[in-house]
Amino acid sequence: MKSSVKVLLALHLLLAFYSLSNVASKYAAQVEFLSPAFIALYGAVLFILAIYALGWQQIIKRMPLTTAYANKAVTIIWGIIFGLIFFGEGVTLPMLIGAVVIMAGIVLFAIEDGRMQEEAEASLSKAEAAPLPLNSPASDEDTLSSDSSNEVS
Amino acid sequence: MAEISWGYVALLLISVFIGSVSQVLLKKSANKTYDSPIKEYLNPLVIFAYILFFGTTLLAVFAYRGIPLSLGPVLEATGYIYVTFFGVYIFKERMTKKKLLALALIIGGIVIYAFGL
Repeated sequence: MKSSVKVLLALHLLLAFYSLSNVASKYAAQVEFLSPAFIALYGAVLFILAIYALGWQQIIKRMPLTTAYANKAVTIIWGIIFGLIFFGEGVTLPMLIGAVVIMAGIVLFAIEDGRMQEEAEASLSKAEAAPLPLNSPASDEDTLSSDSSNEVS
Repeated sequence: MAEISWGYVALLLISVFIGSVSQVLLKKSANKTYDSPIKEYLNPLVIFAYILFFGTTLLAVFAYRGIPLSLGPVLEATGYIYVTFFGVYIFKERMTKKKLLALALIIGGIVIYAFGL
């Protein structure tokens, strides 16, 4: 199996695991506040979120951030599946259509956000490479890049 | 979706909003330079952001008393709206047509999900 496929699979396992934090949240909601059961369930929520945060850090080292963010949309599907499995919640056609539309929005958002980020980074490195005019007012950015621009010119 | 109660929906929406504020604080902190790695993690901004995040998890638990599990991740998608708003007004990021379309899809999808077509 290609390593990029493995990372994607790991991401999806992680997102399914993350979705279980909502299941623990909802179970915690059904017991008395600060009862032993509540503390155990709420503890499970925090535990899952901590593992998720660590896992996410590892994933985004190995995969473009945009791809990782776009795939997060799947948590909506897990919400519907876990709602059905754990709490017997109904699934209707409008729910499924709404879910697909939201997921399309999230994927488009992630792609566009990634493109804008790349654009911003590209224009930043371009500004650093370009020699500065000698009489330019000294702003923070100017002082940061002045060393390299002197070398270039 | 008979079991939706609007007070609890509002509670989760508030939780998502606070979560977005917490993200903005972490981003603000990440943009700063610190003289030591310890200060990078243990500074008032980061600590406050994590307290806010902790608060959102508690708020979410209370919200789940009145909303179905499946509605949680759907309402969490409103976070994209707040994050975009903060991006434009605090970090001076550009707003593009595609981002506007993405947000419109998210909002439209939530409306279809909750109210039907």
